[in-house]
Amino acid sequence: MGGSIGAAVVRPTVRRINRTAVATLDGLLASRLAGDVVERLAASPLAARAAHGALQGPLVEALAGDLVRYRVADRLLSEGLVEQTAARVLEGEELEHVVQAALESPTVERLIASAIESRLLDQAVVRLLESDDLWLIVDEVASSPAVTTAIAQQSAGFAEQVAGGVRARSRSADAWVEQRARRAFRRRPAPPPGPEAG
Amino acid sequence: MSFAADRAQAVVRPAHAAEAPAPPLTYVGIVTRAISFAVDAAVIQFVAIAVAGTFALILSVLSPPDKFDGVLLVVGSAAYGLWLVGYFVVFWSATGQTPGNRLFQIRVCRAVDGTAPSAGAALLRFGGLILAALPLFAGFLPILLDDRRRGAHDMIAGTVVVPAPPVEITSRR
Repeated sequence: MGGSIGAAVVRPTVRRINRTAVATLDGLLASRLAGDVVERLAASPLAARAAHGALQGPLVEALAGDLVRYRVADRLLSEGLVEQTAARVLEGEELEHVVQAALESPTVERLIASAIESRLLDQAVVRLLESDDLWLIVDEVASSPAVTTAIAQQSAGFAEQVAGGVRARSRSADAWVEQRARRAFRRRPAPPPGPEAG
Repeated sequence: MSFAADRAQAVVRPAHAAEAPAPPLTYVGIVTRAISFAVDAAVIQFVAIAVAGTFALILSVLSPPDKFDGVLLVVGSAAYGLWLVGYFVVFWSATGQTPGNRLFQIRVCRAVDGTAPSAGAALLRFGGLILAALPLFAGFLPILLDDRRRGAHDMIAGTVVVPAPPVEITSRR
């Protein structure tokens, strides 16, 4: 009986103390002082040593083990986070800026130049030229209707252009020769040509 | 549509058209016709040489007796003559255009109505062509002087040579 009365008095008091402590902690965390303290801690050699020690110790292995054990990668994949992240990266301007910066950087330029000059590329080209698949692709492309049609159109267009030029010159020559002949035979000039058929 | 344009269209109308086409108004001169003829001559000779070469190879394997040489010469000459005459007569009478004419967009037609000449007229024209060439090509001189640019062979066959539109235009009319 006495125990139950004591408990009835003590429990609300403990709860009140707990609530007060939590509120105090919240206030402390929200305060500028806490921010300054954390910043100082993060910038201090102590934090660096702590991180160094943690990475040297078994923490990394434990984390890796937990990642595997709790199937973190599978869960992330199943929730579509990877796809969303990839889509965001591909659609965002950041990737474009990064690629642009990479392409403009002298380091990448040097890397590309050295790759082009390397024997590896020469060997790759030689192997590509020796492969039957390449010539299969070339044959397929060369015999494709699009390519043959384009070549035929080019050839026909060129032939028609040449023929048109010869036609025009021969018609001029017709008139020129006829004019000279009529003059030589003292004939009146040819009548002006009528409309052509078509 | 103007009267002149109407008449010009009548020239390109097919031979089997219901209305009789009017005579053509523009005629093709000697240079264009000569180059066109040269193209035809090249085609004729190329085919003749190819065929003759093929037969020569076959005969070289078969080795016929020498007494057949005369026969083979006569048969070969006749075949060549037939090919030469047939080439012009068939093309002129069928469409009015040989391949050389087609290349230069000209065609042979009857002077009176602009239709393709008949096979008889085409044969007559070819004969006239040979006759015109015999006196040092003097038979072609009238092309330079005649108002309708006709050679002796045209006068004999009653034909003229006129500009022809591209094929796709005529086929749509």
